[in-house]
Amino acid sequence: MDPKFIRNFSIIAHIDHGKSTLADQLLLKSGTITQREFRAQILDDLDIERERGITVKARSVTINWNQDGQVYELNLIDTPGHVDFHYEVNRSLAACEGALLLIDAFQGVQAQTVANAFAAIAVNLEIIPVVNKIDLPVIRVDEVLEEVETVLGLDATDALRVSAKVGLNIESVFEAIVKKIPPPKGTPDAPLKALVFDSKYDNYRGVITYVRIFDGSVKKGDKVRFMREQVVNEVLEIGQFRPNMVACDELGPGQVGYILTGLKELSKVTVGDTVTLFHNPAAEPLPGYQKPKQMVFCGMFPIDATDFEALREELQKLSMNDSSFSFVPETSDALGFGFRCGFLGMLHMEIVQQRLEKEQDMDLIQTAPNVTYQIVKRDGGIMTIDNPQDVPDAGIIEEFREPIAKVSYIVPSQHVGTIMQLCQDRRGIYRSTEYLGPTRAQIIYELPLSEIVYDMYDKLKSVTSGYGTMDYEIIGFAAADLVKMDILVKGSRVDALSTIVHRSNAERRGRALVKRLKEEISKHQFEIAIQAAIGSRVIARETISALSKNVTAKCYGGDITRKRKLLQKQKEGKKRMKQFGEVEIPQKAFLTVLESAKDD
Amino acid sequence: MPPQALYVHVPFCLHHCGYCDFTLVANRDHLIPQYLEMLGRELNHYCREFTHRRKITTLFIGGGTPTHLSPKDLQTIFELIGRHFELSDDGEFSIEANPDGLCDERLSVLEANGINRLSLGVQSFDDAVLKTLERKHSAAEATETIARASNFIPNVSVDLIFGVPGQGLESWQQTLEHLTQLPVKHISTYGLTYEQGTPFYRQEKSGVLKRMPDDLERDMYLAAMSHLESRGFEHYEVSNFGLPGYQCRHNNVYWNADEYYAFGPGAARYIDGIRSTNARSVVKWLNSWNKGEPCEEDREQLTTEEKAREAIMLSLRRMAGLHVASFEARFQLSLQDLAEEEIRQHVEDGLLEYSGECLRLTQNGLLIADSVVSDFL
Ligand SMILES: Nc1nc2c(ncn2[C@@H]2O[C@H](COP(=O)(O)OP(=O)(O)OP(=O)(O)O)[C@@H](O)[C@H]2O)c(=O)[nH]1
Ligand code: SF4
Ligand SMILES: [Mg+2]
Repeated sequence: MDPKFIRNFSIIAHIDHGKSTLADQLLLKSGTITQREFRAQILDDLDIERERGITVKARSVTINWNQDGQVYELNLIDTPGHVDFHYEVNRSLAACEGALLLIDAFQGVQAQTVANAFAAIAVNLEIIPVVNKIDLPVIRVDEVLEEVETVLGLDATDALRVSAKVGLNIESVFEAIVKKIPPPKGTPDAPLKALVFDSKYDNYRGVITYVRIFDGSVKKGDKVRFMREQVVNEVLEIGQFRPNMVACDELGPGQVGYILTGLKELSKVTVGDTVTLFHNPAAEPLPGYQKPKQMVFCGMFPIDATDFEALREELQKLSMNDSSFSFVPETSDALGFGFRCGFLGMLHMEIVQQRLEKEQDMDLIQTAPNVTYQIVKRDGGIMTIDNPQDVPDAGIIEEFREPIAKVSYIVPSQHVGTIMQLCQDRRGIYRSTEYLGPTRAQIIYELPLSEIVYDMYDKLKSVTSGYGTMDYEIIGFAAADLVKMDILVKGSRVDALSTIVHRSNAERRGRALVKRLKEEISKHQFEIAIQAAIGSRVIARETISALSKNVTAKCYGGDITRKRKLLQKQKEGKKRMKQFGEVEIPQKAFLTVLESAKDD
Repeated sequence: MPPQALYVHVPFCLHHCGYCDFTLVANRDHLIPQYLEMLGRELNHYCREFTHRRKITTLFIGGGTPTHLSPKDLQTIFELIGRHFELSDDGEFSIEANPDGLCDERLSVLEANGINRLSLGVQSFDDAVLKTLERKHSAAEATETIARASNFIPNVSVDLIFGVPGQGLESWQQTLEHLTQLPVKHISTYGLTYEQGTPFYRQEKSGVLKRMPDDLERDMYLAAMSHLESRGFEHYEVSNFGLPGYQCRHNNVYWNADEYYAFGPGAARYIDGIRSTNARSVVKWLNSWNKGEPCEEDREQLTTEEKAREAIMLSLRRMAGLHVASFEARFQLSLQDLAEEEIRQHVEDGLLEYSGECLRLTQNGLLIADSVVSDFL
């Protein structure tokens, strides 16, 4: 295939602006799928994507398009819009020369529009602005285009106006792709350089490596080497996604497709690696990209200790298809053996949990999530803290650091004050405000990640009646007056309930938390004190009074069996909870740490 | 040794009270003749190997409302029992009754047939509470019945219910005060429970009935203890109080985990180490005996350990508690081995205590006896 006739592009946008729907139209209008095969957001084929109506994984497809008598090979990548999966966008952009930037004709430029557009600009892609949803009854195309120019600094004169849903002006999209996006460069006879931009594990075929060829070419039977991992394998099959896997003879410069080598371990294939030929290797790998860093962690424990191995297997299986989540075994005095799992954000965490629940039938206790921290020790060493339990004695801590995010909000102008107040209350550092037009403003703050990750999105939606959007990126770690807050139940510390909080918030959080716990833990035969403490200093306390009466002072006319069974049932009920010392703590209580932080 | 105790269940009532989940039918008096016939068959079946009438030391005819039967039908019951059993001279022979309809004629039949203990379902001396409970008698009728009945059968026991929606502590105290001025020898106080399947259960779920707060219910229970003890009643079991010498011997059989015969629908028996319970549906029981077949629904033979645990559960409900040495001798088990951790914990929490040779509930433990004893099962 002559690279002249290849176009590689990603579809990027704010969440829900219609990327997957536009991809549907491109597939349909080019005949890649038939009307019969069509279904809305066809590329969102993970269960979780269909259930939630969002894209969580980038998907690439190869389509043929006949423009003015010439057949072009278009490789499109549909990307997710949610901030948790921003790294998927970056990966995709690295495999392209251009991007379609979708903007909702009513909503206009939103936080992820900005983030994704800037990501594309940063790697010098040709960007085609596409105003989508022009079929909506209320639209403000002119204003939207102005936003594109002022906020993103893009030329909007040739912006397209389409409706992906009803299939309006889709031809103009094809035309712009062909005319504006530069064809890939690349030398056919140079040594092979193929970028691994994604991978997937298939139970039957093993690891499927998604590649974009930059130089050279690859055929079935070639011996290839993954440059970073130093694995050598024979190519069993190559092919393209149309949108299903279709084998082909050769992939040359600029082309996008997959390589099957029969490899069974996903860990041997790292995204961002370069594939080259064993006998004629490239001198240098492609730059690749940084691995996404997990920023949110939580513990997962089987209620029944014998499920531990089963849980490990399940986690392993899941990580096969989601390399961006991590897990390591951990032990808790309170919850026994489990795993510390790391995620890119809260949505990512929810999705992994949901998949776990669906795919296995075991009772899990999940602890409240926390962000990752750093501790500089007196001796100069640096510790990464993914688990509050690992916080060392105050005596050896020189500095406690937390991750800081640069947060960008786009909100209707009348909400600027509210957002500033919200950020100020959460230890934010103001950076800038920019008016995007007469009615909307972009506000930039630097905030501790812990102050935004759990609930900022919900708060934002509620204070702006759904019109505000936000995006954030981690910009580093900063020292803060952080402390570990412990929870003592009847005098004993329940390690799984410990949290890291800012000292100035500690009392308020502590009070909220013990109050919540009081509601979750039922009365026992004795009084239970629930305390929040920093070190040995108690900062909040609630008491669950003793059960005052539960004598079923009833006569059963000699039916002792029945009486015994009733009492046995009562006892069974107790067993289903996690016994900590003598106190039974229900599953839900371990999440109250999160809930109480949200109550704040 | 064969069982010394006998229970007979009579499943008929004038009205089905909303809280009650005993085995009974109301407004089905046409079933009485059939019931008597089937009771005869059941007795014949279980007693077929008796070579002579067995002596029993306690009899309890419960219900339902046994005295809902006519004097003639009551007489029949005694005759049926008398075919297989003989009441020993110094025994305790009880029958349950309600104030409504307990006429002199019935009382004479009972007296004549050896009944020497009457257990009256009074529940309250507050008409408002009686109404909530859907009882068919008034406080005045109950008072009159107690006085009159004690002329025939001096050993009168009265059941009371506390924790009724709308009932105040004062109403309860007045009921206790009033009762202790009447000629009664024994008092049982039960906390109202909302049993699945009863109208009260549904009404409580839907909010029509408002459950009494725990604390008030506890105060009522404490009030009963202090009042009754001050009037000379000995608190000998979670729900039971008796003047000296008037503990219910039949119930003590249950709490000792001793064996007993039982007949009638829903009746539970314990014979030869096997506990079994008859069909709880009156109609099912009738149909079954109509075909001449027993209809035991739950039948279980407990292991020694299970028996021992059950014995702990039962004896802890008695104020005297569990006599450790006799327990260990009886089951050939060490109490420590069986329940060391539970005992240690409850003693530490002040719910159980050792008193002399016995392990027993403390006052705090008594208030939550169900939670405490269930830990031993
Ligand atoms: N009216 C109208 N609705 C549209 C149009 N395009 C997409 N939508 C609707 O917008 C919603 C989101 O569409 P998607 O295609 O899933 O959006 P997305 O950008 O892929 O979303 P994420 O992948 O989750 O970021 C769906 O309900 C679509 O039906 C359009 O042109 N007009
Ligand atoms: S009279 Fe007694 S047995 Fe009959 S329904 Fe009422 S409470 Fe139950
Ligand atoms: Mg999508």
